[in-house]
Amino acid sequence: MSCTMSRIASLLAAGAVLVLGASLPACAQDAPHGDAANGKKVFLADGCFMCHGRSGQGGAYNGPAPVLAKTQVPFDAFKNQLRNPVDDMPAYSEAVMSDQQIADIYAFVRSLPGRSDPKAIPLLNN
Amino acid sequence: MPKRRQSVDSSRRNFLKGATLAGAATLAAPAATQAQVAAPKADIKKALPPGPRQIAVETQPPAKDPVNQSSSGGDFMVDVIKTLDIDYLAMNCASSFRGLHEAVLNYGKNTKPEILTCPHEEIAVHMGQGYAKIEGKPLAMICHGVVGLQHATMAMYNAWCDRVPVIVMGGNIMEANKRAPGAEWVHSGVDIGAVCRDFTKWDDQPTTLQHFAESMVRAYKIATTPPMGPVFLALDAELQENPIPDIESLRIPKLAKVIPPQGDAGALAEAAKLLVAAENPVIIADRVARTPAGMANLVALAEALQCPVIDNVGRMNFPSRHPLNQSFRRGPLLGQADVILAIEVNDLWGTLNNFSDRIVRTSRPAIKPTAKTITLGVRDLYLKSNYQDFGRYQDADLAIAGDGEASLPALTEAVKRLTDDSRKSAFAERGKKLAAAHVAMVDRAKSDATIGWDASPITTARMCAEVYAQIKDEDWSLVGNTIRNSWPHKLWDMNKPYSWNGVSGGAGVGYNAPASLGAALANKRHGRLTVTFNGDGDLMFVPNTLWTAAHHRIPILYIVHNNRAYHQEYMYLQAMAARHGRGIENTKIGTTITDPNVDYATVARGFGVHGEGPIVDPKDLGPALSRAIAAVKSGQPALVDVVTDPR
Repeated sequence: MSCTMSRIASLLAAGAVLVLGASLPACAQDAPHGDAANGKKVFLADGCFMCHGRSGQGGAYNGPAPVLAKTQVPFDAFKNQLRNPVDDMPAYSEAVMSDQQIADIYAFVRSLPGRSDPKAIPLLNN
Repeated sequence: MPKRRQSVDSSRRNFLKGATLAGAATLAAPAATQAQVAAPKADIKKALPPGPRQIAVETQPPAKDPVNQSSSGGDFMVDVIKTLDIDYLAMNCASSFRGLHEAVLNYGKNTKPEILTCPHEEIAVHMGQGYAKIEGKPLAMICHGVVGLQHATMAMYNAWCDRVPVIVMGGNIMEANKRAPGAEWVHSGVDIGAVCRDFTKWDDQPTTLQHFAESMVRAYKIATTPPMGPVFLALDAELQENPIPDIESLRIPKLAKVIPPQGDAGALAEAAKLLVAAENPVIIADRVARTPAGMANLVALAEALQCPVIDNVGRMNFPSRHPLNQSFRRGPLLGQADVILAIEVNDLWGTLNNFSDRIVRTSRPAIKPTAKTITLGVRDLYLKSNYQDFGRYQDADLAIAGDGEASLPALTEAVKRLTDDSRKSAFAERGKKLAAAHVAMVDRAKSDATIGWDASPITTARMCAEVYAQIKDEDWSLVGNTIRNSWPHKLWDMNKPYSWNGVSGGAGVGYNAPASLGAALANKRHGRLTVTFNGDGDLMFVPNTLWTAAHHRIPILYIVHNNRAYHQEYMYLQAMAARHGRGIENTKIGTTITDPNVDYATVARGFGVHGEGPIVDPKDLGPALSRAIAAVKSGQPALVDVVTDPR
């Protein structure tokens, strides 16, 4: 079983929309080349930011929407969640989002800065 | 007694000539006859001079038509209201209650109740909802019984779903022959309470002043008896305005507040037995704390069991930083629970099941099939049929009818009696694990909050952290929040009964701005710093609330969570478009509040409220908040418009 397939299996077992936020080892070598700049455009135009935030910080729809910044989810699992999502996340068919656009979004969210040390932010230590 | 003016100017005579003659036959038949005879002569350019009888009709008061009075039903109504210790009467002025309005001002000296001028009836009722949850007692509002009541109904529904007492009154003119033509007919009804009967606990239309006194006291009693809720009284205008015919016979009944019912002792003992024996019990709390004692009572039970608490935040039930507060770990906790105690939970099915909002709507339990469920609350004691706010039916193994807060001490004592040393030891171990999990949850939330920290639009985490940094050393009270903004409950230290004031109940938009203002009114006399997060969509329903805040000098800090959309609906529409594989880019149509963007700070200033913003750079937020809080501490309302990321 490939790295990607094993990750998908574990993700499906875990279930729920939280898969995108799961902390798993990266399998970035499985991902097709993506254009992060275009990914950002699609991320905003197709409304990914509405639940997951412009910085990929996560948010909420009917339930929590996971953090996407610096996602460690393998590309195939990421794509599968877009095509055949678990829980209430909308499905994005090829009619509205091509495989290449998904690759671009993937490149974009992996390029986001993500978390920093909260201890370095005084406002988060009140 | 002053006499009517003896001379009648020509304009008045002309008015009578043109408008009154047709209807004047019964009062002045000869004059009417004169007019009817004169009318066909089209070539007559000048009105005929009135005859002696017509002059008499116009200039002399009819017999038994006094122009002054020394008492009024409204005065007596004020006396009744004063016995109930009602501090405020919120209203938008209307002729159908002009009698009571004048009596409150001049007979009652505009104190207890003091009039709150509201530019919409929905504001008046929502102010009552927010006020009651902080102050622990209702205020009253009054409106035009037909058109004003229709404005008020959305807020009444929220109060109904939120189990909050508000005393709503509406003016009406019951006797058809007493109604003036025009507005008084379209503003009167046979049964004006019908429009709100599905979401009020009780309503009445008193026909005498004694009837009013008894119904007003009864209304107060019913509204404040758990399960609490709004009540409605229709007030006949003549009853308010006319002299009191039999003042010596009137009597104001005594209010005896109902002691909230405690659950059956045997049932509570059975519940305690299940909880003590459980390995993984969970307490779910929703609208539990109705007095300052409620939170302490729930803490005592949770600590006696070292049991996790999931707070559905319908009230300030449980301190946010208490190690047993596990509200953000509900999934795993419910999944492993063997005994669940749900206290005053409205939508228990929704709490214990996972529901999928997909083409085929499915659900699956979030709990084990073997889990025992105990319900404690007054929800089962009073329901109505039409509106479905009671939620889907949920199985329970033990359903205890009793007020949650009132029943908690007895339940806690029963738990303590059953807890031997062995269980104490097990509880202590459980408590340690839960405390560690709580710390991990907070650490995770802080880590999540760092993402996009310096981004513009500003993240909701940054917005909330900036606000908390500036209020944490004050005696603050957060009285409103936006949809799914969980940061305050995750990161703020909420530990006082007024640290939080619950939610709308019916999810009717337009709640937050006025309900927060009502809460601020209650907090004002305690010297608390009132803060609320207000969605831009909510504020767009009732922006005129800001005028009431300024007019009555109610200090409150509004933080506008301005994501420039009705965002939940925006996401729903996106889901619909995605389902069809078409037009996702169109979903902003009808869901966003852009083009033009609203400048809420300018709107605020227009209403006389200190305004800051729009704040788009997170570095500007702290200074803007500082200025706004200074204004609030000086006794003014203030608003900071924060342009944010959606959630």
